[in-house]
This record gives sequence, C-alpha cells and structure tokens, in this order.
Amino acid sequence: MKSKLSFSLLVVLALALFWAGISADQGIIAIKAGKILTITSGVIEDGVILIEKGKIKEVGKKLPIPAQATVIDASNSTVMPGIIEAHTTIGLQERFEPPNADELTDPCTPQLRVIDALNPFSRDIKEVVFGGITTAMITPGRLNVIGGQPAVVKLTGTTTSEMVLLEPAGVKISLGEGPKQTYGEKRRLPSTRMGSAYLVRKALTDAGYYLNQWQEYEKKKATDPEAKKPKLDLKMEPLAKLLEGKLTAFIESYRSDDIMTALRVIDEFKLKGVLVGCTDGHRVAEEIARRKVPVIVSPMGVGPRRIETKDINIRNAGILSDAGVKVVIHSDATLGVGAIRELPLAAAFAVKGGMDREEALRAITINPAEVLGLDHRIGSIEKGKDADLVILSGDPFHYLTRVEKVIINGEIVFEKKEQN
Amino acid sequence: MCKRSFFIAVVLTILSGLLLFAASGEERVIAIKAGRVHTVAKGTIENGVILIKGGKFIAVGKELAIPEGAILIEVPHGVVTPGLIDTHSHLGLGPSGGITEDNEMTSPATPGLRIIDSLHPQGMVPHQDSYRDAISEGVTSAIVRPGSGNIIGGLSALIKLGGGTVDEMLLRFPQDMKMALGVRGGGLEGYPTTRMGAAWTVRKAMLQAQQYATQWDEYQKENKKDTIPPKVDLDNVALLKVLRGELPVHIHCGPAVDILTAVRLGEEFHFQRLSLGHATGAYKVAHELAKRGVAVVVGPQMIVYDEEREELVNLADYLLRAGVKVSIMTDADVVQQEFLRYQAGMAIKYGMEPEEALRAITIYPAQLAGVADRLGSIEEGKDADLVIFDGDPFDIMTKVLKVFINGKLVYEKGEEN
Repeated sequence: MKSKLSFSLLVVLALALFWAGISADQGIIAIKAGKILTITSGVIEDGVILIEKGKIKEVGKKLPIPAQATVIDASNSTVMPGIIEAHTTIGLQERFEPPNADELTDPCTPQLRVIDALNPFSRDIKEVVFGGITTAMITPGRLNVIGGQPAVVKLTGTTTSEMVLLEPAGVKISLGEGPKQTYGEKRRLPSTRMGSAYLVRKALTDAGYYLNQWQEYEKKKATDPEAKKPKLDLKMEPLAKLLEGKLTAFIESYRSDDIMTALRVIDEFKLKGVLVGCTDGHRVAEEIARRKVPVIVSPMGVGPRRIETKDINIRNAGILSDAGVKVVIHSDATLGVGAIRELPLAAAFAVKGGMDREEALRAITINPAEVLGLDHRIGSIEKGKDADLVILSGDPFHYLTRVEKVIINGEIVFEKKEQN
Repeated sequence: MCKRSFFIAVVLTILSGLLLFAASGEERVIAIKAGRVHTVAKGTIENGVILIKGGKFIAVGKELAIPEGAILIEVPHGVVTPGLIDTHSHLGLGPSGGITEDNEMTSPATPGLRIIDSLHPQGMVPHQDSYRDAISEGVTSAIVRPGSGNIIGGLSALIKLGGGTVDEMLLRFPQDMKMALGVRGGGLEGYPTTRMGAAWTVRKAMLQAQQYATQWDEYQKENKKDTIPPKVDLDNVALLKVLRGELPVHIHCGPAVDILTAVRLGEEFHFQRLSLGHATGAYKVAHELAKRGVAVVVGPQMIVYDEEREELVNLADYLLRAGVKVSIMTDADVVQQEFLRYQAGMAIKYGMEPEEALRAITIYPAQLAGVADRLGSIEEGKDADLVIFDGDPFDIMTKVLKVFINGKLVYEKGEEN
C-alpha cells in the first residue's frame, strides 16, 4: 500500500517535472529579426531575441532557438524597443468630454494623482499602441502652477494598478501662459509670470518647513517616545519628496525667460528637474547643458501655435542635443502627422532639423527611460529588461514604415491586419 | 533752362528704357528642366521641361525646345508638382482658441459675414509669418473659411498665397457658404444646445431667405414705380445665392449623425456642390455620400480609430475607394498649413496610392473649388503655380527648393533653411 502510494507520487512528480520542462520551453518566444535596433549596444543584423516571462531572456546574432519556443518570424523587419511618450495627458480625458487634466479650483494642487483619473479603456491609449508606443508618462495639464503627480504606465491592462510602472513619477509644475491666462481671467493669483514663480517658491518653502518638522520629530522620537507627530499634509508630502531629491520636478516652460525661471527654481531648491516644452531652449542651450537638466521637447509645431510657442524651431532638439543636453522627444499634438501615434515621425522632424539620427532614436527610447528613472526596465533591447518591442516594416524614421507588431511585457498587444 | 530740359529728357529716356526693359523682362519665357515632373493631369514626365510665360504654363513635355532668351532653371534631381492647394484653412485669422477673427460668436447664424474682411494677408500673432511658412512648404492656394463656432458662419474665399493685400490674393469670392453642425457655441447664450437645434437653425435661416426671395419677386412682378422696394438684408442676400444654387455649401461635420443631417438639409434646400469638412464618421455612410455626389474634405485627422472594430481607418483612402470625391486639408492652424504634404503622406502611409494623395492636394481641390481650368495641374494655359522638391514630395526628409506662384519665384531654399 505504502509503496504503491510512493510510486504514484513518484509518477506524479516525474510528470510534473516533465510538463514543467516543456512549459518552460513553451513559455519562450523567439523573434527572428532582420535588424535589431538595441539602442544601447548597436544594431544586430539577422539577430534573435528570446523572451521569457515577459522579460528579454537573451539577444544576439546566433542564438540557438529552443525547440518548443513560439517563433515570430520578423526576418524582413526591424525590431526596436517599445517607444516611450514621456509627457502626455492621454487617458485622462475622453474626446468630446470636458477637460479633466487640470483641477481649476486651485492653482497649486500637488496632492492630486493622475492615476485617480486614468481610464485604462481610453480609446486614445488603444490608438497610440498601434503606433508602437508601449509606455507613457501620464501627467496633469499645464494650466495649474503645480498640477499634481504624474504616473508612468505601460499601455496595456484593464486596471490602473496593472498598468503602473512608477507612481508618483514626480511633480508637475507649469510656468508661463498656462497658469497666467487661466487664473488671470479669474483675477486670481497668478495673473503674471512672477505670480507663478512666487507660488512655486512659496509651496517649496512651505514644504521645507514641513520637512523640517518631520525631521525634527524623527530625531526627537528616538529619545522621547511622547514626541508629537506632525500632521500629515497630502499637499506637502510630494513637495517634501522633491526637496529630498526623491521625486523629479517636471517643469513645463516654453519661452526662454520661463526656462530661466525654471532653472533658477531648480538651483535654489536643489531640485532634480526636467524641462518640458522648452520651445526656446536653443536660445539658452548652454545654461541648460551646464546644469545637466534634461529636456522633453517637441520639434515640429504641427499643432496650433500659442503666443509662447510662436518661435518654435525645427532645429531646437538638435541644438540642445549638440550642446550636451539630454533630449527626449515627445509629441505635443493630437491630429495628423503630429499625432502621438506617429511619435517616430516627430523624431524624424528633429533629424531633418539637424539632430543626430542615433540620438533622435535614443530620444524616444533610452533617454526617456533614463529621465523617468526606469532605464533598468525599459528603453532598450537588453537581457533582463521588460520585453516591450515594436516590429516595424523598415526604418522607424521613414514616413512609409508601418508598425507590424507591438509586444508589451512579452505579450502581443497589436498585430497589423493583412488588408491594411 | 535749356540744360534743365536736356536733363529731364535724359532722365525720361533712361526711365522709358527701364520701363521697356522691365516690360520685355516680363515677357521672357521661364524654362524649368527637372528630373521628374508630376503633371497630375497627364502623368509623370522624367526629365521634363516646363515653359512659363505671362504667369501661365505655355508648354510642358519631355523634349521641348527652349526658346532663345528664356530664363533657364535646371534642377536635374528636382521633382516638380503643381502648387499645392489646402482645401480648408483659417490661415491669417488669428490663434486657435482665445479671440480669433474667424468666429463671430454673437449669434449662431451670420451668413452675411465675409471672411475677406477678417483676413490678414501675412498672418497674425502668434503665427505672423504663416503665409511665408506655408509657401515655403509648397502651398500656393487655399480655401479660407469662417470657423465652426457658428452654425452658419459666413462666406468663404479662395485665395492665392502671397500678395500684399487680400484683394490681390483673391481668386474667387464668395467661394462657398460655411456651415457647421453638431452642438456649436460652447454653451453661449442664444446658441442651440442640441444637434436638432443646430439643424433647425439652418432650416429657419433658409426659410427666411425663401420668404425674402418671394418678397422681392413680388415687388419685381408688380414693377410699380411708386411702390417702395423691400429692405435689403445682407444675411438673406447671401443665403439667396445658396437657395438659387449659385453658391456651394461647405458643412463642418463630425460623427455620422451630423453627416446624415448635412445630407438631409442639402436635399431639402437643393444645396449645390455640397462638401463636408472633417467628417470623421463619413466612412460609416460612405455609400450615401458617393450616391449623392457629396465631396469630403479630410483632415486634420487623417486616421480615425474605430472603437467597435478596434482598427485604424484611413479616412481619405476609404472614401475614395467608395467613390466619394476627396480632398485633403490641414484646417490651419489646427495643423499648420506647411504640413499639408505630410497630411497627404499620412494617407499614403496607411494605404492610399501616392498618385491619389497628390491629386487630393492639387487637382481634386481645384475641381471641388470649381477652378480646375486654372489650378491643380501642370498643363498649358493654367496658372504657373509649381513646387520643386529635392525628392519624394511626401517624405519628411525632402526639402522644397523653389516655389512659383503665377510664374513668379516666391520662395527659394537658402543656406540657412
């Protein structure tokens, strides 16, 4: 009886091991690629990418393909890492719905979190995936001086928590016309540029006091168990993290004077800052480069020109990059050739404006990954990174190149139909 | 005294000489030899020659003799297309959003307004050089329309880009009556809050125009010298042209529901040469539009995401294949006018034939505007509007080398651009 039991146990065990072996192999996806743009270690012609459990298991020229692996034949295609849109409001607001990206009851709302407004079923999210965008930083709009806390999400999943890669991803700050016009119309602070700058300084100064109280408390607590705990302030929490360098400040600014104000604030409060918009960046490229502050720019000006973006220049991205600034390219328009779905074409415009081709490719992959602090997971085709890949019919910068397949976390999320 | 008259005589002689020279200069033929000429009307000519005189094309062909004394422009690697036409634009009318010059939003129906009275011939803040920028990317003509803030916006104009004054630029005015369906006015007082309210606004205005016409007809029938003529009403005068079929109608539409209403109104009031703008839902009712000969001006959204089928629809291509007349627009400055060729490139990317995409920004707009005898192709007798590119006109990396309007060089690529 006993031996029978142990025998059957053994059989079960053996079977389990056997199946485990097979399913381990079955779980592997192998992409045979005509060209792999790894971004961080050059171009591999006729290479193989092995994917397991949502991660890149191996990438190289002559890799053995496991017998049970699912093979994706992309031998006439180009594979690049999933494209990253580093600054967008998609998913926060559906078309034909009232705006939802700016909380217009208060110009200073660092306590707000975009994940509380993000709709995973947004049609805009579905549409941009068709263009090979696999990760995005969703952020509050530009109308509040301090808009709230952005989140970096993968563009797949049915719940926000499934999508989130990093939250909070920073604090969104905006200078210039956005807050000035919005609150100026209501005859409220800020109705001027200096008003906006004052609000940023005031908030950060208050956060300094708040941080101090907590640090004092932590110190006292060690010796005095009766020490009074400061009140938790949701507005101050993210700002305190900015001051500690635990969060990044994404400062939207377009005109060169607003860019300089942003740099002054970054200097004064020793912030980890990123400039967003930065249309006039080429006019103060040295100032930005000297401080090693990265920028998120859009090189085209496809969409409506605003008073503060009137001098938009196709050479902006190239000039900034040549000056030594880390440049991220994003799309600032929603329609036509400027649509987020067509982000690689935005980078192509930067190349037309003089930006180095390789750098322009980095500007939509590894550079945004680094700026968002996620380069250990996304932004290049490297062993151990998330298997976020785009299979393209050719050169990503050519206008006729089509996206054939999009893979996020090792799963195919888009496949081009034959007829179109 | 004598010396003075001699001096005057000398000056006059020099002046007349200069005048003569200038006059004969105007008469000189311009000959353009280019690697590839997309005539649009008669195919593509490799190593073609185009002859221009008096602002018109006088000949185009493969091995044309170049007349003696002609100004020769040789671009062996150049690709020539007709001047591009943007079929829907608000260029020179101020910024999108905020205070613009193209929406008189004090009443939902303003048919008597004339867009040319708002149009700035160079462009306004924040895009002061919008015309120069558009020309530098090959756009030579555009239909400029009132915005879609009002249900009946006013009278549109067809213009050539470039020129010191609006009057110099005008090719045709009025070009059409601009209308917009859906909920307009953004909640302003006096504006309907439903789609049916918008349709009613059009019906009411058209019926008033009919009654106005009857009043005048009766007066003219009576033909009594002692009767006082009815009061002239500028809004009704404009709509009367629509009623009589003298003025085409262009209607801004979005989803299929607005498109069907536009078609219904068109049938009720016998709108002539009806065209729809944007019409992102048009693919759902394409056969209805094809059957009725209603044209669609596609853009600035070129690719529509269909939520039910979870796929991208290449709107211009889809409609064209269904037999609908199609043009492509920028809706400048929703998309800046200089991006017109990339708008067409977007349609090609998702499957449109490049020849058709070129037609959709040249001859199809010319046909839609009723000026195919003057614009839209490189043919003898037409206006000498052309663009010379250094490669595929739809490729982002391709640059514009030269642009001609009415036979005059209006843009040339320099070192800095």
